[in-house]
Amino acid sequence: MESLGDEPWDVVICGTGLQQSLLALALSRSNKRILHVDPNDYYGEHEAAFSLQEADSWAATHAGRSTEEDSSVEKRQPIFKNASVWKHPDAADLGLLSPHAYSLALAPQIIHTRSKILEQLVSSQAYRQVVFLAVGSFFVFDAEATDSSPKLARIPSSREDVFATKAIPVKSKRYLMKFLKFVIDHDSEEQKPVWQGQEQKLLSEFLASEFKLDENLQKYILALTLSLDGLITVADGLATIHRHLTSMGVFGPGFCAVYPKWGGSSEIAQVACRAGAVGGGIYMLDTEANVSNSPDGHEISLELSNGISVRTTKLVTSQQDALPDAQTITRLIAVVNSPLKPLFETVVEGAPTPAVAVVVFPGQITENSPIYAFVHSSETGECLIGQSVIYLTTLACRQSAQRLESALDDLLAAATPEGSPAPVSLYKLQYEQTVSAREPLITTREETRTFAFPSPSLSLTFDDGCLGPVKDAWKLVMGDTALETEYMVFQDREGVGDDDDVYDL
Amino acid sequence: MSEDSLPVLKILIIGPSGAGKSAHCDDQFDPESTTATIGIDFKPFHHAAVSNSHSKAGQERFRTLSTSYYRGAHAVILVYDITSRKSFLSMEKWIDEARSSASPDAVLYLVGSKLDKVATGGRAVSFEEGKAFAESQGAGFCEVSSKTRENVRQPFVEVVDRIVQRPELLASTAPASSTAGLNLGGLGSNYSSACPC
Ligand SMILES: Nc1nc2c(ncn2[C@@H]2O[C@H](COP(=O)(O)OP(=O)(O)OP(=O)(O)O)[C@@H](O)[C@H]2O)c(=O)[nH]1
Ligand SMILES: [Mg+2]
Repeated sequence: MESLGDEPWDVVICGTGLQQSLLALALSRSNKRILHVDPNDYYGEHEAAFSLQEADSWAATHAGRSTEEDSSVEKRQPIFKNASVWKHPDAADLGLLSPHAYSLALAPQIIHTRSKILEQLVSSQAYRQVVFLAVGSFFVFDAEATDSSPKLARIPSSREDVFATKAIPVKSKRYLMKFLKFVIDHDSEEQKPVWQGQEQKLLSEFLASEFKLDENLQKYILALTLSLDGLITVADGLATIHRHLTSMGVFGPGFCAVYPKWGGSSEIAQVACRAGAVGGGIYMLDTEANVSNSPDGHEISLELSNGISVRTTKLVTSQQDALPDAQTITRLIAVVNSPLKPLFETVVEGAPTPAVAVVVFPGQITENSPIYAFVHSSETGECLIGQSVIYLTTLACRQSAQRLESALDDLLAAATPEGSPAPVSLYKLQYEQTVSAREPLITTREETRTFAFPSPSLSLTFDDGCLGPVKDAWKLVMGDTALETEYMVFQDREGVGDDDDVYDL
Repeated sequence: MSEDSLPVLKILIIGPSGAGKSAHCDDQFDPESTTATIGIDFKPFHHAAVSNSHSKAGQERFRTLSTSYYRGAHAVILVYDITSRKSFLSMEKWIDEARSSASPDAVLYLVGSKLDKVATGGRAVSFEEGKAFAESQGAGFCEVSSKTRENVRQPFVEVVDRIVQRPELLASTAPASSTAGLNLGGLGSNYSSACPC
C-alpha cells in the first residue's frame, strides 16, 4: 500500500464538522486525492453526537471557564465552554443502562422540509443512509394557566386546526386567520404595502398594530419563529413564519420539519464522510494536523500527530476561535425516564408519529429571553425506549443555567398526566456555545489556498447559510474543472438497489 | 411467517483489507482480484440486506468507521484471513468497535477465510484458536473458502438463526411503526415543482 506521505494530496480536510463533511461528499466523485483528518476521536466536531462516556469526556475537556480577571490579554476563546455533566445517583436503577445506546446531539437542529440541504442530500443520493423523522407539534408553555386550562397549549398548525381549537376565542381566531393568509403571500405586490416601512420594527408590535393579535396570539406566532432573543424584526419574522407554513405537507401531512435519526446533523456529517471514503478518501480520526513550516507558496506541509508528514496545495479547516462579544447560548440536554407520550400525538390525519416536539417558554421581552425545548422520543435512537431526551436552549446570561433547569422541571410536570409519577432526569449535560467570525477565512499564497469554515450558526433550525461556504470550498478545490450543474448531483453507485442478487436461504 | 412479514435484516461484514470480505459476498470467485473494494456493496440477502464494509476501505484502513455505519445492524460478521496471524490478531479491536457502535443486542459472528489454502500449508491460525476466541467473545464461528465455496452459506444461516432468537433485536428495528423514516427520495421531484424560489 502506498504510504500517505509520498504523493501530495489534492486537498487535506481537517475536522469532520458538517461543512467539512459536506465538502467531502461534494468531492466524493471527483477522483481527487483526499485526506480527511480530525483531531477528535469522533466524527462531527461542533455537530457531534455522543454516547454517555463520550459526553463525559467531552464535558471534561470543555469545562474551561472564561476567567474575567485576565481580560487584558487578548485571549483566544473556544466555541464551547462551561460544560458540565450531572448524573442521578440511582441512574442505573432508574434505567440509565448501556451508555453506548445514547446519542446526545450537540446540534439538534430541526430541518425545514424546504431546506436546501435536503435537496442536496437527495440529489447526491446520501439521503439513503439517513433516516429522517417528523417534527410534530409546537407547544407554548403558559405559566399562568389555571387548573382548567392546560399549561401546554398546542399551537394550531393549519386552518382546520385554528377552527377546531377551543383555546382561542372566536374573535381572535378571525384575526389569526387573516394574519396567516397574509403571511402566505406577504411578498406579493398586493400585500407588501402592509409591512413596507416597518421591516425593522419588532414583529410583536406589528402583530398588535396591524392585525390586532392579542398577547396570547403574539406568543404563538413568536414561538413559531424560534427567535433566540424574541426580538425578531418584521422582515425576518414574516420570512420565518412563511417558511414554517409553506413547509407543511411537503413530505407528508402534518409536519413542517424533519430530524435525522440518531443525532441530527452529526448523522449527516457521518454519512457524508462515508461517501467520501467510498469515493476513495482516506480517513483518520484522533489525528491532529499542524502546518509544519511556513509555506513557500508552492505547497503546504502538514505534520500529523501520528508522525507522518503530508503535503498539499489546498487545506480546508474550520475556525475554532470565538468572535469576541458574539451571541452566546446556554444549552441543557437531559435524559428523562418517561416517554412523555402526550407530546407526540398526531393531530392531522395520515401524519406520521412525530419523534420531535417543540415547547416554547415565551420570555418577558425586556427581561428574559425565551427558552426553547426540543423533546426527542426514543424513536430518535438517542435514548432507550421509555425515555426521552430534552434539549433546552436560551441566550446565555447570569441566570440562564438555572432558568433552563426550572423550565425543565415545569415541562416535565406539565407533560405528565395527573396521577402518574413525575419523571426524573437521569443524566444532564450543560454547556455554553458561541460562534466564530461568520465569514469563511481564506488565505491565498501563490499556488496554495487555505479555507476555514465559520463555526455552526446558533439557529435552532438548520441554517441554509452554511451551504454557501461548502460550495465555495468545493470550487476552490475543483478549480477550473468545477461544473456547477454537477454540484452534489450524483447517480447511485453500482450495486445499490440492485435486486438481482437475492440469496436463497 | 409469510415472506412479506419477514423483517429486512441488516448484516454488516467488516474486517481488515484483504481478508476476503468481497470474495465472501460474491457469487463468482475471482482469484485475480486484488483491488480493495471501493463502491457501495449492499446486497439483498433474501430479506437480509448484507452490507459489505470494504466499500469504505478509506475508513477501514485506519479503523475509522463511523458509528452511523452500524446503525440498525442486526448482525456483524467479522472476517479474518486464516493465513495471516496479523489479521486474526486485529479481530479483538474490530470486535470492540462493533460492540461499542452496534446495538448491544446485535449478533456477532467470526469468520476465518481462505480455508482452501490449508491444503497448500498456508494456515497460520488453527481452527481451535479461532473457535476459542469467538467463544470467549460470545460470537459464532466457522471457517470458509470463497474459492471452493466450502461453508460459505453457513455464517449467514447461523446469523439469521441467532437473530430470530432475539426478538428484542427485531423489535427495536421493526419497520412497521409509523415513525419509521420518511421517504424523501420518492418526493424528490416535489422540490422543483413546489419550490417558490
Ligand atoms: N485462495 C483464496 N483466496 C481468497 C479467498 N477469499 C478471498 N481471496 C483472495 O484474497 C484477496 C482479497 O480478497 P477480497 O475479498 O478482495 O478482500 P476484502 O476483505 O474485500 O478487502 P478490501 O476490499 O480491501 O477491504 C483477493 O485476491 C481474493 O481473490 C479464498 O477463500 N481463497
Ligand atoms: Mg473488498
